[in-house]
Amino acid sequence: MSEAKPSGAIAATSASAAAPLSAHGLGRSYDGYIALTSFTVEVAAGELVALIGPNGAGKTTFLNLAAGLLEPTSGRIEIDGDVPGSIEARRALSYLPDTPVFYEDLSVAEHLEYVAALHGVKEPAARIDELIGRLGLDGWEDALGAELSKGMKQKTSIALALVRPFKVLLADEPLDGLDPPSREVLFQLLAETQAAGAAIVVSTHRPDVIAAADRCVAIRDGRLAYDGRPDPDVLTEIFDPSELEGA
Amino acid sequence: MSGADRSAGAVLAAGDPVAAMKAMRAARRRRYGRRRDVMEVLYRVYLGALAALFALGFLAGALHEVPADPSSVDGIRAHAPAIIGLAVAALVLAGLRSGARGGPLAIEAAEVRYTLLAPVSRRVALRPAALAQLRVATISGALFGAIVGNFVFRRFPGTAVEWIGALAAFGALVPIAVLGAALFASGRRLRPRVAGPIGLVLVAWSSLDLALGWNSSPATLLGDLATLPLQHGASAWLAALGAALALALLATGLAGIGGLGLEAARRRAELVAEMRFSASVQDLRTVVLLRRQLASEHPRRKPWLRLGGGRASASPIWRRDWQSFLRWPAVRVARVVAIAVAAGAIAVAGFSQTPVLFALPGPLLFIAALDLIEPLAQESDHPTLRLLLPRPSASLLGAHLVAPAVGAGIVLAIATVIAALVGGDPGLALGVGATSIVPGALVLVCAAAVSATNDPYEFMLMPPELTQAINFAPIGAASLGIFLPLFAAWKAEGGDGARIGAALGTAVIPLLLGLAGIGVLNWRANKREREAM
Repeated sequence: MSEAKPSGAIAATSASAAAPLSAHGLGRSYDGYIALTSFTVEVAAGELVALIGPNGAGKTTFLNLAAGLLEPTSGRIEIDGDVPGSIEARRALSYLPDTPVFYEDLSVAEHLEYVAALHGVKEPAARIDELIGRLGLDGWEDALGAELSKGMKQKTSIALALVRPFKVLLADEPLDGLDPPSREVLFQLLAETQAAGAAIVVSTHRPDVIAAADRCVAIRDGRLAYDGRPDPDVLTEIFDPSELEGA
Repeated sequence: MSGADRSAGAVLAAGDPVAAMKAMRAARRRRYGRRRDVMEVLYRVYLGALAALFALGFLAGALHEVPADPSSVDGIRAHAPAIIGLAVAALVLAGLRSGARGGPLAIEAAEVRYTLLAPVSRRVALRPAALAQLRVATISGALFGAIVGNFVFRRFPGTAVEWIGALAAFGALVPIAVLGAALFASGRRLRPRVAGPIGLVLVAWSSLDLALGWNSSPATLLGDLATLPLQHGASAWLAALGAALALALLATGLAGIGGLGLEAARRRAELVAEMRFSASVQDLRTVVLLRRQLASEHPRRKPWLRLGGGRASASPIWRRDWQSFLRWPAVRVARVVAIAVAAGAIAVAGFSQTPVLFALPGPLLFIAALDLIEPLAQESDHPTLRLLLPRPSASLLGAHLVAPAVGAGIVLAIATVIAALVGGDPGLALGVGATSIVPGALVLVCAAAVSATNDPYEFMLMPPELTQAINFAPIGAASLGIFLPLFAAWKAEGGDGARIGAALGTAVIPLLLGLAGIGVLNWRANKREREAM
């Protein structure tokens, strides 16, 4: 990963002593199917955590629970000390989902302006221009969602997650659909976000993301399987290598 | 390029998040208005006018101008509030069930992702959508109520102003009560297993009112409002109380709207978007499937009854179809039985009031037939599986008609028994029912099968009127097949024998319609099989 440069635009300020993201005994089931159970994890300010596990392990369920899109069936989770879904938690958390969703009648630029305004960014133009330039969205500002390729949609989704201030960033498979230069840009943006004090959780199968992370949290069958350094030797004991590469 | 250059600047100029949200919504509305195609708007107006004309003609026929006799007026004064109240209670139950699954709002997926995850009050964010839905529903309800009132005052005691006013108020308050119940359930995140029983208590209470002649359920009080010009003294106050309760329910629902669960909202947003698209291309089969998903109407894990006879069956298709029926969820069983009951009761009302009502049982029973035809529809949904079988598709689909036809026969038998029980002439009801069961079951099942196997894109290049005619032909055939024997029996002069004979005489039409349906199915199956080879 490139050298991190703190970005003034990402105001992940006033990190409290408590972990910005903490889950204790978290569980979620669907009609008898257990997607996540007894899951406990804390992510500190300025920490980049790689969330790994095979398909269906419970990674997206955890991220959706943290974002307030799902409700836990047991345990609790807090975002900067607040319940997910509360106004304070929504202010503190930015979510980059695995499937980009757009208003069908808003352009890329209008999306960015709208999301920035919803989160109270006073002068968003400079930050919007910076993200558009760095993510290679120049010339696509006026495009509607339906006119974008998969990669362009992903870049727009990344820009939407980063255009607003936050203390916690959740990213679900953020490198999907990106070409190598765009991946490098995303790594730079994540490093800057981390340096600015945000807690970051990235769900991934990719070894390069795992290598860049401070910590690795592994889930298997809805349970915490590993929480520690991203040590390839340890991880290969837990997972088949193909599971980590998303093969 | 600066941010200010990219848009109208309304959002950037907004002082706070809520102002930004309002500015963006206003900009989107303006943009939507500018993009509207004038010809498409005119076409919609034309379709709306046609539908309104048909509805007015139906109402004019159903509520003809002959003044009702005093005994009918007394009967309506005594029983109509409870009957209407029972219908309102059933609608409130539907509202509660919808609310427990994230309804009644259908929010864009992007709105959930960006606006509802932003630090903006969800009550403020959701209220405009709720009020817009409420506005359309109450205005439509009031208008419809006023039109009905315009016909009703010619038959019953009371002035035009009284009837139009009472029924317009009733028409507005019903959607208020139903949407209020749905908003209450969604805002309080009531689970279906809680919301359903609450609604059922109201239905049971209204049923007791009907059975015991009481006037106590909140839904019955709204029934008082619908018949206000016939009521005297205390009933007017009870009607006012019913209206106040409906408004209170709405106020409670709106107050708690911010509690909407995003999980249910997201699921509903996706399904409703798909359903709207399917409806726009008149893909009835997909609409049926999506509606089941929306209502979480899944087959039972344990069948109501396990079929005996082991795994090796002489007739695997017959067995497979009954296995499907025996896994129907309770709500589907209740719906089909309710349709049968309603069809029987409406047929009786057609004999005693006006034959225009005979137009209603056909479309209702067609809905039940769509449930019965599910196994055949699944064969059609999975052409690869079907084409791998060592049997021609036409023969396979034909064999799938037998069990649904028997099922439709049972539904028609229930309707017949209900007509015999509630009507004044059981002999006539049983006779007409008995002569109509076989042709009726055949036409219903064949019409549903043709509809379920329809490919809405097959006729996309034809003029839209022709495409609509093809897509709606099965509903028309089912309606005609059920209407004809009832109308012939009503029209015939003489005793019950003559009337039953007249009904039997028309049986050839639904039989021919059914055979035509089988012909269409065979042609369609053979054509698709040829194209796949």
